[in-house]
Amino acid sequence: MPKQFKPWLLFTLVNMQLLLFCQAQQTDHLIQGKISNKEGSPLPNVTIAVKAKPSEVTQSDAEGNFSIRTSSASGVLIFSTIGYASREVKYSGNNPMVIQLQETVSSLGEVVLTGYLKQKKSDITGAISSIRNKDFKDQPVANLAQSIQGKVSGLLVSTPSGTPGAGLLVSIRGAGNPLYVVDGVPMLSESNSSLSSSYNTQGEEMGSGQNISSISDINPDDIESIEILKDASSASIYGARAANGVVLITTKRGKNGKTEFSFNAYTGFQKVARKIPFLDSKGFVALEEDARQQDLKLYNQDPGLFPADFDPALLTNPLPEGWKTGVNNNWLDKIFRTAPISNLELSARGGNEKTRFFMAGNYFGQDGIVIENFYKRGNFRLNVDNKVSNSVNIGANMAFTYARNRRSFNDDTYTGIVTNALGASPLMPVYDNGGAYSDFTQYQASWLSDNPVKSAKEIKAYTTNYRFVGTAFVDIDLLKPLKFRSSFSADYTNLIDDQFFDPITTDGETVGGKAIKGTYRNMTWLNENTLTYQNTFGLKNHFTGLAGFTVQSSKYEKTSIRAQGFPAGSGLENISSASSITSASALNYGWGLMSFIGRANYDYDGKYLLAVSARYDGSSRFAPSGRWGLFPAFSAGWVLTKEPFLANSSWLTSLKLRLSYGLTGDQEIGDFRYQSYWIPGRYDGVAGLRPFNIGNSNLTWQRNKMFNLGADFELFRGRLSGSVEFFKGNRTKLLSQAVLPATSGFSSISINAGDIETKGVEFSLMAYPIRNKNFSWSTSFNISYIHDRIRSLYTEGELLSAYTDLFPTHILKVGQSVGSFWGIKYQGVDTQTGDPKYEDLNKDGVIDDRDQQILGKATPNFFGGWTNDLKYRQWDLSIATQFSIGNKVYNLIRSTYQTLGWSDGGWDANNILYQVYANNATIVNRRWEKPGDKTDIPRASLIFPNYLQNSSQFVEDASFFRIRTVNLGYTIRPKRTTMFTSLRLYLQVQNLWMATKYYGFDPEVSSNGGGSPQTAGVDYAAYPQARTTSFGVNVNF
Amino acid sequence: MMGMRTYLKLIVVVLWLQPAISCKKILDVQSPNAVADDAVLTTASGVRNARIGLYISLQDKNYYGAYFPLLAECYSDNGTTGGYDVIDLNDIAARTVGPANIYVQNIYASIYNSIHTANKIIGAISTVPGMDDAEKSQINGEALFIRALGHFDLLRMFGEHWDRTSAYGISLSTGNTDPLTPIARSSVDDSYKQILNDLQQSIIGLGASTGSQFISQAGAKALLARVLLYAGELSAASVAASAVIDDGNYSLFGPDEFTKVYTQKLTPESIFELKFDPQNPSAFNTVTYARPDALRSEILFLANADLNEFFLSRPDDRRQALVDYVHVDVSIQPDGRTEKYRGETTKDNSSYIIRLAEMYLIRAEASGKTDGLADLNTVRAARGMTQLTSDDVSSDQAFLKAVLDERRAELNFEGHRLFDLARTGKVSSVLGTSVNPIMPIPQREIDGTGGVVKQNSGY
Repeated sequence: MPKQFKPWLLFTLVNMQLLLFCQAQQTDHLIQGKISNKEGSPLPNVTIAVKAKPSEVTQSDAEGNFSIRTSSASGVLIFSTIGYASREVKYSGNNPMVIQLQETVSSLGEVVLTGYLKQKKSDITGAISSIRNKDFKDQPVANLAQSIQGKVSGLLVSTPSGTPGAGLLVSIRGAGNPLYVVDGVPMLSESNSSLSSSYNTQGEEMGSGQNISSISDINPDDIESIEILKDASSASIYGARAANGVVLITTKRGKNGKTEFSFNAYTGFQKVARKIPFLDSKGFVALEEDARQQDLKLYNQDPGLFPADFDPALLTNPLPEGWKTGVNNNWLDKIFRTAPISNLELSARGGNEKTRFFMAGNYFGQDGIVIENFYKRGNFRLNVDNKVSNSVNIGANMAFTYARNRRSFNDDTYTGIVTNALGASPLMPVYDNGGAYSDFTQYQASWLSDNPVKSAKEIKAYTTNYRFVGTAFVDIDLLKPLKFRSSFSADYTNLIDDQFFDPITTDGETVGGKAIKGTYRNMTWLNENTLTYQNTFGLKNHFTGLAGFTVQSSKYEKTSIRAQGFPAGSGLENISSASSITSASALNYGWGLMSFIGRANYDYDGKYLLAVSARYDGSSRFAPSGRWGLFPAFSAGWVLTKEPFLANSSWLTSLKLRLSYGLTGDQEIGDFRYQSYWIPGRYDGVAGLRPFNIGNSNLTWQRNKMFNLGADFELFRGRLSGSVEFFKGNRTKLLSQAVLPATSGFSSISINAGDIETKGVEFSLMAYPIRNKNFSWSTSFNISYIHDRIRSLYTEGELLSAYTDLFPTHILKVGQSVGSFWGIKYQGVDTQTGDPKYEDLNKDGVIDDRDQQILGKATPNFFGGWTNDLKYRQWDLSIATQFSIGNKVYNLIRSTYQTLGWSDGGWDANNILYQVYANNATIVNRRWEKPGDKTDIPRASLIFPNYLQNSSQFVEDASFFRIRTVNLGYTIRPKRTTMFTSLRLYLQVQNLWMATKYYGFDPEVSSNGGGSPQTAGVDYAAYPQARTTSFGVNVNF
Repeated sequence: MMGMRTYLKLIVVVLWLQPAISCKKILDVQSPNAVADDAVLTTASGVRNARIGLYISLQDKNYYGAYFPLLAECYSDNGTTGGYDVIDLNDIAARTVGPANIYVQNIYASIYNSIHTANKIIGAISTVPGMDDAEKSQINGEALFIRALGHFDLLRMFGEHWDRTSAYGISLSTGNTDPLTPIARSSVDDSYKQILNDLQQSIIGLGASTGSQFISQAGAKALLARVLLYAGELSAASVAASAVIDDGNYSLFGPDEFTKVYTQKLTPESIFELKFDPQNPSAFNTVTYARPDALRSEILFLANADLNEFFLSRPDDRRQALVDYVHVDVSIQPDGRTEKYRGETTKDNSSYIIRLAEMYLIRAEASGKTDGLADLNTVRAARGMTQLTSDDVSSDQAFLKAVLDERRAELNFEGHRLFDLARTGKVSSVLGTSVNPIMPIPQREIDGTGGVVKQNSGY
């Protein structure tokens, strides 16, 4: 720890002790009153504050009554609550006050969390988007990020996989994987399951696979609000890990008043939203016959095109018996199903002057749309606040989650269930006559690695997770304007992976079944201490200052045991019944972070706004020399409508200009990367060490600078409001893997190099076009344009593969976007020969690697959403849509189901054709058949593969427009008090409809888990998305 | 109330002081799974650990763990590739490998990792305390051997090893430069000189064999014989091979027993055999056999129809039992599978880096048709084949063909065929006129060195 901070620390300590002694009680004037709305109904939970006395605050009770003690005999009281215009009322003496508040649609009075502080929306100077519970509640989704898809400008949430419990890709302004701060506890959405990886047939890990998100442990309905800190000036208070933006999640807390219960339940069913249409048995045989006919024609024209030993009898011999099974299976129908989804939750919220609480229990159950998969989750949460004295508050948050997941084996690789089903022969039955799984090697498609139904049922992969997140905190009013807060949090995860390959599966066959047992245990603790000073000088100068110190430490352990050889027929699957252990590992990791934080907000009469902040972070992930980083930020705002020349505008209620600049950092490079080290291994029964990592003592923080210019406007008292943002970000000193000369002994080194520029415009609009007693319509629209460009790189033109054993799919090139696809350009079909044409870029007459070029990018140019909420008497209808324009997907799996009859040598010595590569999708019905045909699908051929995997033939436009949610509800509010205060019944369809040109299951898909934006946007038959129809009930009592 | 305040004060003080005290602990996190580079080679036991590391580095899947020898086979007339229509594998079978080929790239990097491990030991061993000179020279000898083996394997896969006047040798890594500094390619002659020098030094330091899973003096002489043969120094090659044959530790099995080489471990035929165990398996079985009824797509490296033709022309050659063209799925036919790496349960197949039969064949080739015939017949006899007479190999060419055929029959799927064809100038006649006898330098290396390392001609 640097020396210079010690005096500062000491100073604070001394001050604090003095302050504790100095604190004195003064009194006291009691003011009482009642608050109601225009119709005379009492308003509970209104905040009543004495102006310029930040500590003199109270709330109205359920009957709208309030009482507040103040030190001054006369002054101004401020009444504020969500949905109503704030009022300032003078008071003097002790007469009971009668206050009426006007409803408003303006959101300017809303309080927004900005990171260690709260601010009124009207005072905010950074680019922060805020969403409330009502915008995302009641959706049949497991992950909170999914429920805000399309609702916030600059925030791109995509669903790479339909796997129950799967992680989502969340990117803020083009940077993926933001920092989540849940009730003050920072966490990254990591996938901790070691089963998430996808393996090839050799059992080697190839891609990062579909991850399971640690954020999906949070029940979306426990959340009160979500704030998204988009620009660097807002995020930099979380300097350390804020380079990709910050998502602040606040769960519900107790309320003063009668205990309110809320019961929410829905149940529904899911079906695959979009299927790829496959050829039936007849079409499959017809394709092969056409392929043979086409080849025969070609052979008769020019036998020289065929291999020397080629016998044309292959093209005319009758197909063997195996082709006449009479079976007509659609394999997708065999592995997909209609799957139920249900959710039950009960919460209670209440309290009194002294103690308030929120408690909630939740059960969520989702069956996968692929047979056998499921995800189940149970949550319990308790948030408590207690007022110890007038100056001391304490509280605690506790959340416990249990989740169990049956995974889809190899979600997105050669040997996965969906992958196998995509190529399987329709002539193959699921079960043979004896009732056993049919042997896939006896049927027509050689693409398969196993009978898909067998893999789905006989490979059992479970991930079970126990998680506890808890915080205890104390708030102390040291002096009236000065508050101290200290909190201690713990985040504990215990995750268990169990995978069993039955001896009848391809993977387990030769070894008598195999099993993997893995555990992941993590304990992260966090201590935060802040001092907040809030005061008003001369009624118009408002100042808030904060200084603090936080320390966070994380330790985790990963273990894995692999075993094989299980007693046949015993049904035993646990590791201890295996005949031999084939590998065992236990690895420990850890990191630590210390930070000093400071921020100050100043405004003059809510007109001129200024904010500065800084964070000084030290991370264990970097060498001592580069360990500490300072992340400052500055922002300013000007509320034009408070100036005399606009103050009296009848239509422009608010107009604010904002300007900000800030710096954030990124440490996500993995633990211990700055050190050179050797790892253990074994040879001939002796343990030894081998070099594994080459260190870099200069390794330091990645830096993200961002400039933001924004404007917020509100017209007609909030009937129309919106924001415009322009931003320019620059990510420098990128934490990257530099290509090393192989002679160094290593292929790469972790360094800080490269520079990426991101520019964007965001626009959002919110309107209430119709708003009367019986009918109201509100609509919101947002659109974002984001463009990123690589400005410099350590190694120009580095080729990357989405899968370690695949051809390069992506390239990093200066001047291009991150995630640019690489391959050969497809130029359509020769109308005379039916052959595919590719661009011979270097004009050397050969199509090879040297003809590769950039074929598009994974990120969209524009994206956004449009949401409409309609209310008619007791009915409400909400329609949320989402769109994305300009993104492409490398549809790697499509080359498997568009092989056009290619056989891969599946004939025997007598030239009898037994096998072809794979069944094809019906798109091949558009294929070239005779000279003159104009089409983009080449001629069928048994001998020649008339497709090229790494060509733009399979790089598809993945733009889409999607109706994400439609929710129709009916609410009953009994006039007299009965069993309940309100009851809402609703019907909801998730993922109702989509317009896209994409040919795969879903254009949002990203098979490689999307973990790395550098290799994003590839589709290797990822688990498709579901359309969910659900019916729900919501009762408050 | 005052009591509570006092407690609170205490709590506050403790909370604020606690992190300040443990600051160092929070930020200096060391990996419990690894050992820092500068701590490994400072003690005798550390050097012994690193010595084991030499062998572990050879076990890498991309090197002797399977891919290096199998690539040399499946790019030749012995093999082909399967897999799920993977472009980079298809290119190996089609002999049109590009500079971005992932297999070639990984092999290149893996070999240099072994060389790096060796360099670390060579650089540190003289100053290590607490180790006697005999052990030091043994370990130093092993490291020099690994460095020579690595450089030689690079030279025969990526350099114009058949032409000592060529400038297209390899980048020689001897641990004397900063790891980030690119090393340009040396000439072929200089590459050979470095390799031969390391081997001669290694022979001086190494002792007698302690089991063929470890490098011994005989093992180094065996590699020396191989390198000299490639380098065209035939009489020296013959001398080195003789030293191994006469060593006494090694012998050939008879015709009824020779398959034990592949079913047992560390047989007398092995001079240097990289051992694996069930908890640390090699990739050979999964990539060449997988399971009895595997489809073509499940197997990466297949024996091709040419090799079947070859054995069909040698009806009395019992070694054809080690290649199976019959019990394979239709999708694999007319290709087949090698049976040298069976054992689907344990998958702990050894890598046969140097075997005695090769020594006889080196000496035969180096000695020529008159003096070499006896050695050729020794190998044939051990495999149950009829003896060749001088009439059968009346010309030098006929003799060379007989030796190469014998090498093909004996050493197929052990990583020799492509190099044998290249060093004898037979690539264009056997594999095709447009086939490049060596692999491209990985594009990644050319990019990573800023073009200091030059690409091979033809790529």
